[in-house]
Amino acid sequence: MTELRLYLAAAAAYIGIGVAVPELLFSWVECAAFLLLAVWVLPALLERLR
Amino acid sequence: MSWVAHDIEPYVIQKHLGKRVAIVPLLIGSYAPDMATKWFVYGAGAFGFELKADNPAQFHRGFPGVGFTHSLSFGVAVALLIYVIWKSRIWALSFLIGQWAHALTDTLDTVGTMLFFPFTTQLFSAGAWAYAGQTGRYTDAGAYFSGLGFAYDGFWLVWGVLSWRVLTRAYFRETIVPADPFWGKAGQYLPEVALLAIYRISFFYGACRWIAWLIWAHVVRSFAFDFSWGGPKWVDAVRSEDLNASGCHCPSCCSASPKLALSLAVAVGSRVTRRARRGGAST
Repeated sequence: MTELRLYLAAAAAYIGIGVAVPELLFSWVECAAFLLLAVWVLPALLERLR
Repeated sequence: MSWVAHDIEPYVIQKHLGKRVAIVPLLIGSYAPDMATKWFVYGAGAFGFELKADNPAQFHRGFPGVGFTHSLSFGVAVALLIYVIWKSRIWALSFLIGQWAHALTDTLDTVGTMLFFPFTTQLFSAGAWAYAGQTGRYTDAGAYFSGLGFAYDGFWLVWGVLSWRVLTRAYFRETIVPADPFWGKAGQYLPEVALLAIYRISFFYGACRWIAWLIWAHVVRSFAFDFSWGGPKWVDAVRSEDLNASGCHCPSCCSASPKLALSLAVAVGSRVTRRARRGGAST
């Protein structure tokens, strides 16, 4: 459930940024980087900082 | 062209074929026809220069052009190449299914695809929604998300959501990883949470893009919905009839496709014969 929430939050953020900057929506690579950052890198960094 | 179906279709196919396919080549196959060519359709500028096809629809789907990437035989040729180089039947088959899904999906717009190239350069089109790549990517986005194209993508998105089990960690462990050694090798360098994100990227990309483009086209901008067949009518669509009629009829182009068909047939035939001989010699 935590994992699903994380993905939903990442989706909401990506959609928000995408609507504001539609150029972002053309790039699969940028989406991949965003998702990896949101669901793997940032949570891992936060975990380490705690 | 289709904006989201190419992202979601592989997951629905994955749900139905399970361990008989591998998701990575399935996705590569689904993206392959547009992978290296789409930028030239919309155009790209750098250092004051703009590179763009003179006739984007002709370049994208026709011949002369790179329309052969949307043919069924292109999928077969690349799948054979994958099989010959890597000896992986599952990668070859998955690529073929992904590429065929793309080629067949794109027959639904007004330009369609040269499905049976190199045997014929005829474009096959159902004409359900307008092909507007030549108008630039933002107008194309507005047109696509105002007509039947976005409804078709919505259908795949709903089917994808109904197939949600393929996105779970359990499915990834039980079906995706055992089917393809790629995940085992990637797992030596990355944790499972990263592998799962990589596995889910295209679904995430497709679903988010569908929602974001819809909001952009109808809330931020004011493109008018038009669900008529071949619409929206407010955009200047290219049609298969235009390209089928305007193809180059010079002797060189007219003889090129039969020559390519013959070369392909000879290449496949010699490969099959060699394999059969080898098989016969070993028994």
